[in-house]
Amino acid sequence: MAEDKARYVITGGSAAGMAAAQAITEQDLNGIITVLSEEPDMPYFRPLIPYMVTGKKSAGDMQMSGNGPYKGSGIDIHVNSRVDSVNVSERTVSINGQGNISYDKLLLATGSRPYLPPEIKGADANGVFALRTLADAKAMAERVSVTDHAVMIGGGLLNLKAAFALLERGVKVTLVVYSPEVLSQLMEPDDALLIRNALDRAGLKIKTGCSATGILSDKSGVTGVSLDDGSEMPCQMICIGKGVRPNVDFLSGSEIIIDQGIVVNRYTACNTPGTYAAGDVAVTFDPVTGERIMTGLWTNAVEMGRCAGYNMTGRKTAYSGTFGIMNATQIADEPFVSMGIVHTKNTDYEVHVRNTGSTYRKVVFSPDNDRLLGVLFIGDITGAGMYRYVIRENMPINEIKSLIINQRLHYGHFIRN
Amino acid sequence: MSQPKEIFVVMSRCTACKTCEIACAVEHSGSKNLYGAISEKPIPKSRVYVEWVAPDGKVPIVCRHCEDAPCMHACISGAISRDDEGVVITDSDKCIGCWTCVMVCPYGVIGRHLEEHKAYRCDRCPDREIPACVSSCPTEALVYQTVDAFSSDARKDVAGEMLAGEGD
Amino acid sequence: MSDELKVQEKSIDPAVQQMISKADEKGIVTVWDRYEAMTPQCGFGDTGLCCRHCLQGPCRINPFGEEPKTGICGATADVMVARGLDRAIAAGTAAHSGHAKHLAHTMMKMAKGEAKDYSIKDGDKLKAVAGRLGIAVEGREDMEIAKDVAAAALADFHEKETPVLWAATVVTPGRVKVLSDLGAVPKGIDHEVSEIMHRTLYGVDADAVNLLIAGIRCGVADLAGCYMGTDLADIMFGTPTPVVSKANMGTLKQDMVNIAVHGHNPVLSEIIVAVADDMKKEAVDAGAAGINIVGVCCTGNELMERHGIPSCTHSVSQEMAMLTGAVDAMVVDYQCIMPSVVTVAECMGTKIVTTMDLCKITGAEHIEFREEAAVEKAKEVIRVAIEVFDRRKGKPVDIPDIENTVIAGFSVESIVAALSKLDAEDPLKPLVDNIKNGNIRGVCLFAGCNNVKVPQDKNFKIMAERLLKENVLVVATGCGAGALMRHGFMDPANVDKLCGEGLKAVLTAIGEANGLNGPLPPVLHLGSCVDNSRAVALTVAVANYLGVDTDKLPVVASAAEAVSEKAVSIGVYAVAAGLPTHVGVMLPVLGSPAVTEILTDKVKELTGGYFIVDLDPESSADKLLAAIDERRKGLGL
Repeated sequence: MAEDKARYVITGGSAAGMAAAQAITEQDLNGIITVLSEEPDMPYFRPLIPYMVTGKKSAGDMQMSGNGPYKGSGIDIHVNSRVDSVNVSERTVSINGQGNISYDKLLLATGSRPYLPPEIKGADANGVFALRTLADAKAMAERVSVTDHAVMIGGGLLNLKAAFALLERGVKVTLVVYSPEVLSQLMEPDDALLIRNALDRAGLKIKTGCSATGILSDKSGVTGVSLDDGSEMPCQMICIGKGVRPNVDFLSGSEIIIDQGIVVNRYTACNTPGTYAAGDVAVTFDPVTGERIMTGLWTNAVEMGRCAGYNMTGRKTAYSGTFGIMNATQIADEPFVSMGIVHTKNTDYEVHVRNTGSTYRKVVFSPDNDRLLGVLFIGDITGAGMYRYVIRENMPINEIKSLIINQRLHYGHFIRN
Repeated sequence: MSQPKEIFVVMSRCTACKTCEIACAVEHSGSKNLYGAISEKPIPKSRVYVEWVAPDGKVPIVCRHCEDAPCMHACISGAISRDDEGVVITDSDKCIGCWTCVMVCPYGVIGRHLEEHKAYRCDRCPDREIPACVSSCPTEALVYQTVDAFSSDARKDVAGEMLAGEGD
Repeated sequence: MSDELKVQEKSIDPAVQQMISKADEKGIVTVWDRYEAMTPQCGFGDTGLCCRHCLQGPCRINPFGEEPKTGICGATADVMVARGLDRAIAAGTAAHSGHAKHLAHTMMKMAKGEAKDYSIKDGDKLKAVAGRLGIAVEGREDMEIAKDVAAAALADFHEKETPVLWAATVVTPGRVKVLSDLGAVPKGIDHEVSEIMHRTLYGVDADAVNLLIAGIRCGVADLAGCYMGTDLADIMFGTPTPVVSKANMGTLKQDMVNIAVHGHNPVLSEIIVAVADDMKKEAVDAGAAGINIVGVCCTGNELMERHGIPSCTHSVSQEMAMLTGAVDAMVVDYQCIMPSVVTVAECMGTKIVTTMDLCKITGAEHIEFREEAAVEKAKEVIRVAIEVFDRRKGKPVDIPDIENTVIAGFSVESIVAALSKLDAEDPLKPLVDNIKNGNIRGVCLFAGCNNVKVPQDKNFKIMAERLLKENVLVVATGCGAGALMRHGFMDPANVDKLCGEGLKAVLTAIGEANGLNGPLPPVLHLGSCVDNSRAVALTVAVANYLGVDTDKLPVVASAAEAVSEKAVSIGVYAVAAGLPTHVGVMLPVLGSPAVTEILTDKVKELTGGYFIVDLDPESSADKLLAAIDERRKGLGL
């Protein structure tokens, strides 16, 4: 090489990309790190964007650089820089169809984009959102002033967060959910009672078992939504939350193996030399089930990104995978944690459920009752991290089983037993 | 650079009196005295937890300020960072109460302040030379030392016990 | 590891400060060192949220409202705090009344001729007490009356058909009704103590209000114990009359056999004083100039008020007396004797002599006292001191050259007698008139101990200075009196400096009328801690004179540096009597906001009295003045 300094190029300036960049700065003090983001904003904490809608945080408050573990120094960040192709043999990427830049190591962390179901007609109207970027959130915040009623299509966490942001702004909100209950990805309908009650208390209207078929609009933008039960609801804003799809289109024609997302090995490396992938765009695996999965989790993206960053610098670091489900948050006044396997209908898992009226707990053991596979805590999430540890480390649970069932586990049990 | 001090636990010395828990809550109160602290709103919180392992294990647990702090990396709002002393700090102003840190902490030492809707954890008492839990411990079960000093003391203890054993 | 308390933060008594420095130099561990070693103290105990009443315990409830929120049995913070407080009241009551019971037994032995060293020193008081109890006095021998009084006293300990007479006959008629309505008239002193132990047992009373009412009833039983203690001691050893004495460590004499009598009950120390003269020759033979008896704590107060025996030091500084190197023997009876005296004594060459079966200390010499052989035992004790002197003589001592003049001996009888010089027909009138005209804004009783958590005497001094300037008549007992006497508050020469104009005029008028050529001292010494009964008696007398109940008078009380559970029970009977009662250290009740509110506020609706818990002496004084003014207003003054 002409010089000793390694050139790291990272496509994508969100969780995985920035975490990798930060990890590289810690390992390779001489490396040249370039982060390319197609977004117009400097990297920000994406999960905070509902606060842009409520007005509680400014774009500046959400910046990654200088906050949390992100020191912000030694990283060259380019915004409005979309990578449209990768030449793995030349080790270059092309940006915005203009110039190429070369890399020694490349991280593909282009993330995902909202999935807009094609059956929903008219989704290009003004006032239709899929809250994904800070720019989306800014636009949504602006639309609030002309919005009396907003309809959220999809009952996932992202839409719930958006719904609460709008409620906080005084907008009436109706959630239209195809599933029989909200948060169907994170829990089964029977598990969601406390959450549902909290949503009701908070004033959110919910229509379940129902999906949108078309969006009505005029020159002012959205005017309503038509549903598959034949009804129509007037509204001035629609937010679609029907999941995400990985941003892999720019790799078509490259030699990088794609199977829905980018396929990587245990060390986050792709099949081509010097190429790595992390975050929403990468196909990872679930340590519990061993299945190949893709997640849209910030926390997972950071962890995988850090791992990729280390591997890119030559510090070989195995990625331990992630649960398909691993969410903590608070919806209305109800905190909950869902992780591992929590969907147990028609399975032979050993399931323990405890409902006290104010708390709900579901603990899932393997059929041979030897391993903890998943937990769902609602209301009281005390010590949740230890259960994650038990699941992830695949620990034998004989000694601590009753402690797990009763949510009485604490770290002392790990060091005294 | 001198090695930073850490809080160590000598479990054999813990009597589970929970004095550390009270001292911690008081240190993290407005008034910084017990009589004032117990009537404050929001309620001051302890960040050290004395737990019990049947039949007689007493285990004070406090944030380890992990080298690879999972909470810091998992935080979705950039509220958790590490200061120059190596202390992992939760910035309450930035915390949004999403509890992701609670979900990933394998020690279970991140608390949730329900009134304030904020996560809280050991901050090693920035206003004090010695953390309140350590200086309050009546049996010196909590020790504030560098890793080197603590492990060297531990070696000496073992040596002392061996010598005592020989004298028997 | 905590910062070492500066000497000034330990005590404001200059003599004590000198001795603290000496202890530091000599590496002798004192109460302040042990306090430092104990800090920070357990927050559960501090807030009353620690319970060891059963073997499932110990339990502790989180004072911040987190788990655990109840004890294992389910006792709430309210219940736990109320139970703990009740037990403290019971302990205090047991102690005061135990002291009184001891005197009653002594009186009975005396009346039966079994304790020939005791006699009736105040026949008038005997008859007055008998009369109050409904015991016939006409044409009867004093010893016969005494036997009946002693029997009545002993009868007051157990449940019987009448309520506790020493409670029911010593308060205003109105107060009897208030207490009856509340169910707070004690049936028997020991019965109430015992019942507290029962109801605070595992799985009995779990209603904080009910527990507190029982506590008040027990507190009233404590008043009975105190009152009985005063009455019987006055009868056998004389009712105090004003007497000149000295206080502080300067009262120790290098060339004399110094005997510090420490504790509470005068039953032994009176005899020691009585036989000291007889023993002088033995002392002189050993090379001493004589025998010097000094008091520590309330044994000191008892001897001072009756005989003018000087007080050496008090309460938290009891170890310091020995640091002088001049105390040959410290003779103790019971209560408030820190076990550590033995350790300090060992370092300083002092001999600790315990004398009572219920109060032995490992390392002390025990000479079991018997009333039947009182003189003989007293002499035996003095001989121990002479022996120690024999070894000590000629060696250097560090006696701080500090002593204060004290006028002590203000019993209700002697106060009335002094007032009668102003108005022979109606002796209370001058006092009441001066209260009405504002020369006396109100009355404050300072009582209780010195607590290591407070720089010794600081709260007493600051509060008394403030109240005296505001023309509050200050009376004092126990180690509160001890504190004030060591700072010149009982020296008439300081009236000018300390007292407001109105108070000064009253104290001067009474003093002049009694031929003192000057005023009474700024603070009136009412005696020991059982002699808090004298403060109640004085308050009741004024209330009856005015035809109102005691909760209407501008009378307040303060245990500004309380330590003992006895201070808790005294505080409770002060509140039961209707007085705003200040405590200058924290009671272990904060763990229950409900109990705290009852004690500091709601109890007002029941008895008219209430606790003021405030650790700051300045604001405490403000609150007492405000309470006084509120009551004056209530009386239309």
